[in-house]
Amino acid sequence: MSAELAAEGRAARRRRVGAARVAALVGATVFACWLPFQLGLGDVGLYDRMGLYALVAIGLTLLIGFAGQVSLGQGGFFLIGAYTSGLLTMGLDADARLVDPQAGIDPLLAVAIAPLVTAAIAVVIGIPLMRLRGHYLAFATLAFALIAWSLLYAQDGFTGGQYGVSVTKRLVVAGHEITGATHAAVVWGLVGLALLLSTNLVSSRVGRALQAIAANEPAAAASGINVALYKLQLFVFAAAMAGLAGGLFTFFAQFLGPEDFGIIVSLLFVVMVSIGGLGSVYGAVVGAVTIVYVEHKLRELGTHETLLGWDLPSTAPSILSLGVFGLLLIVIMLFFPHGLLPGVAGGIRSARNRVAGLRRSA
Amino acid sequence: MTTFFQFVVVGISTGSVFAIVGMSLVLVYRATGIVNFAQGVFAVLAGLLTYSFVQHMPLALAAVLATLATALVGTLVAVVAVGFRGRTTHLASLIITVGIAIFAEAVLLAAFGEVPRSYPAISDRAWEVGGVLIQPQYAVLALVALAAAFLLTLFLRRTIVGQALVAAADSPRAAELIGLNLRSIAVIAFAVAGALTAVGGVLLAPTVPVSYSSGLTITINGFAAAVFGGLVSIRLALLGGYALGVLQQLVVGYVDSQYSLIIALLVMLVLIGWRSRGELAV
Amino acid sequence: MTLLALEDVVIRYGQAVAVDGVSLAVGSGERVALIGPNGAGKTSVLNAACGVIRPAAGRVEIDGRVLTRATPAAVVRRGISQVPEGRHVFATLPVEANLLLGAYGRVFRLEIVSSTLRYLRSKRDVREQVERVYELLPKLRELRERPAGRTSGGEQQMVAIGRALMARPRLLAIDELSLGLAPVLVQSLAEFLVRLNEEEGVAILLVDQSATLAFSLCERAYVLETGRIVLDGASRDLEGRTEVRSAYLGRGPEDPA
Repeated sequence: MSAELAAEGRAARRRRVGAARVAALVGATVFACWLPFQLGLGDVGLYDRMGLYALVAIGLTLLIGFAGQVSLGQGGFFLIGAYTSGLLTMGLDADARLVDPQAGIDPLLAVAIAPLVTAAIAVVIGIPLMRLRGHYLAFATLAFALIAWSLLYAQDGFTGGQYGVSVTKRLVVAGHEITGATHAAVVWGLVGLALLLSTNLVSSRVGRALQAIAANEPAAAASGINVALYKLQLFVFAAAMAGLAGGLFTFFAQFLGPEDFGIIVSLLFVVMVSIGGLGSVYGAVVGAVTIVYVEHKLRELGTHETLLGWDLPSTAPSILSLGVFGLLLIVIMLFFPHGLLPGVAGGIRSARNRVAGLRRSA
Repeated sequence: MTTFFQFVVVGISTGSVFAIVGMSLVLVYRATGIVNFAQGVFAVLAGLLTYSFVQHMPLALAAVLATLATALVGTLVAVVAVGFRGRTTHLASLIITVGIAIFAEAVLLAAFGEVPRSYPAISDRAWEVGGVLIQPQYAVLALVALAAAFLLTLFLRRTIVGQALVAAADSPRAAELIGLNLRSIAVIAFAVAGALTAVGGVLLAPTVPVSYSSGLTITINGFAAAVFGGLVSIRLALLGGYALGVLQQLVVGYVDSQYSLIIALLVMLVLIGWRSRGELAV
Repeated sequence: MTLLALEDVVIRYGQAVAVDGVSLAVGSGERVALIGPNGAGKTSVLNAACGVIRPAAGRVEIDGRVLTRATPAAVVRRGISQVPEGRHVFATLPVEANLLLGAYGRVFRLEIVSSTLRYLRSKRDVREQVERVYELLPKLRELRERPAGRTSGGEQQMVAIGRALMARPRLLAIDELSLGLAPVLVQSLAEFLVRLNEEEGVAILLVDQSATLAFSLCERAYVLETGRIVLDGASRDLEGRTEVRSAYLGRGPEDPA
């Protein structure tokens, strides 16, 4: 068989594998959208939150994995997306909100605007931000998230401050109310879409440029790739994802309050990404699901009267979550700096190699 | 006019804490290349420990014990943050310190509860100078910051241990080659920085009660002061701390108290932007 | 007596093999060179000898003791000091501080307090050693207060050598002595090293790209190419070999020496 035929054969096989992967992804997404209708009420909420956070994590993992930019501020974009869709829906004027049921715009429009707003903000702050590296970037993104959160309190007339804003309008699309299980289905449908887009991206010319940047930035720059532009694009994409997730979150919780958007949320997204592996979009989904589940279980645990014989204080849920997540971050960064899943997978692979080696020499 | 000076006086004292934390961050960064996100935790820990100890012993002893205990915790943080030689990058270390800060909040919450704690200041009788009230606590804080800057600079320039720390920053490779152990140097840097920040926390708590969640704002303010010094200058970190403290008080006094954190953050962002002009990589 | 011996040392970076079974030895009082082109693995070999890198296979023996997985600190204590490629002086510290740290590094143990006490107690010896170094390298005395980063390349090389000498090594390993320095300077440094070797008995291991320098300075040499020793022997003999002449000395087989 000539070299050309062999190469053609390989390309055809790759296309078949690619098509199979897409089919599998579509199948999984259909299943994920069907699942919420089979779950009990409490579980649907959990499932919905997993999907929303997964959207944010997908954007963040690409940003960290390919642009090398560790953002500690995705929670800020999540917040802005949520409040944009919520306040637009209920009416920007705080007094009007209370008296006029017609105030505000159509929820669907508000949800669509949310990612546009976050993307626009990301473009503006991204240009100076993407020049930063390492600790400066970490603190700058954290500062951004903190400023957004502080403004909630500082401008409490507009944002409802610590009391929040009740979102009484429902999201309606073509006559269907998007709440409960339907909402979760929509969210996971979007997750599937995001995964599809990302995998397409990776194999495209843009994806190759991103991989070149991730592998060796100066070399990529030297070969003519506009590194700064790609980094900015990833930053804006991650911000848009977070904004979209935030916008949808408003109609999941039907309430906007500062507690859902504290700094810990931004840090949780980093933990999710580090579980799944930097740059792995599927890993990001796994990370989001894991963290939401763990948080839920910890909260449950924390509401018990006693644990292992100790009386639990009312702050136990916080103690447990903060403790576990802090520890998780430390352990992952120490032992699996490229991400928990890749680290474990690598460990399994080398263990398998060792076993294979033993078998071969036997 | 007296109001203005009153604000300045209060600002210098709160700014002293920022300066102290900032200088501690500079010390750790210069010796190890790591930015310790958990630096503020040392201040909070020391304050809360002093609060506990003071129930059983005189304030001075409580303060000293709290500082020593915090320095010890600092050595633990050092070992964890430095990680594995060759495998743990500076960025990973930063994220580890983020994890430590979060974990510490959990521990502090469990140990001391939610309520901010405090204890009596050095003296309740304020001095009056030209219509401006100066609490002795403020004066002590400002002087301690000044003294710390002086001693720290002396330490780094004149003692062999301090010079070893600087050497580790100038060239970790050469430092290792001549026999210096980078991990030990990191431990010393974190311990000294921890002790210094602890002193700041002990002096702060009487005026601003501390609780498990105070650490983050303290770290951020300290980082802003450190960035003023480019993360490497002790003296500029001192100056930056004072300036930031005064600026914050002026905003709180004349504009709106809700904005004090936002001001600090914006200043930090501006300083970060200024300091990384022309820098392409870490 | 053999001060340093490498036996079948293999060094890997991930999957890539940088050094593939290298053996060499330096006896006390000898001047030995390790030459080869860029990327041959010379610095890796040196780093393995000095405990900076762990070899994937093979042995490193210092003074007859197996020290394959030793730390750089242990190697320094056993009498081998390295002058790294590119000097790496402590730029913000004055020259004298650079030297003193060389002595401090020698007594440095994991536990800082006892190390520092030990250092402070031996202050007189350290003082003497500094004076010896100033005698050997008088220029450094002039520069003692100057921040090391504000000295010229040649002066920095002297600082780095002086710093290494403060640990009272029996073997001085130098990586790329000639890098970025004017030939005249390199020549005087080479002369200094010969004097150091003959008068103080310090063995020299010179790792360099410049074969000319290596042959003029050292009696024996190893030639390293892509991770393997391809030739070794007395400099005199190696100089005459055609492969060496054309590859490293830039001369054809018929050109006069």
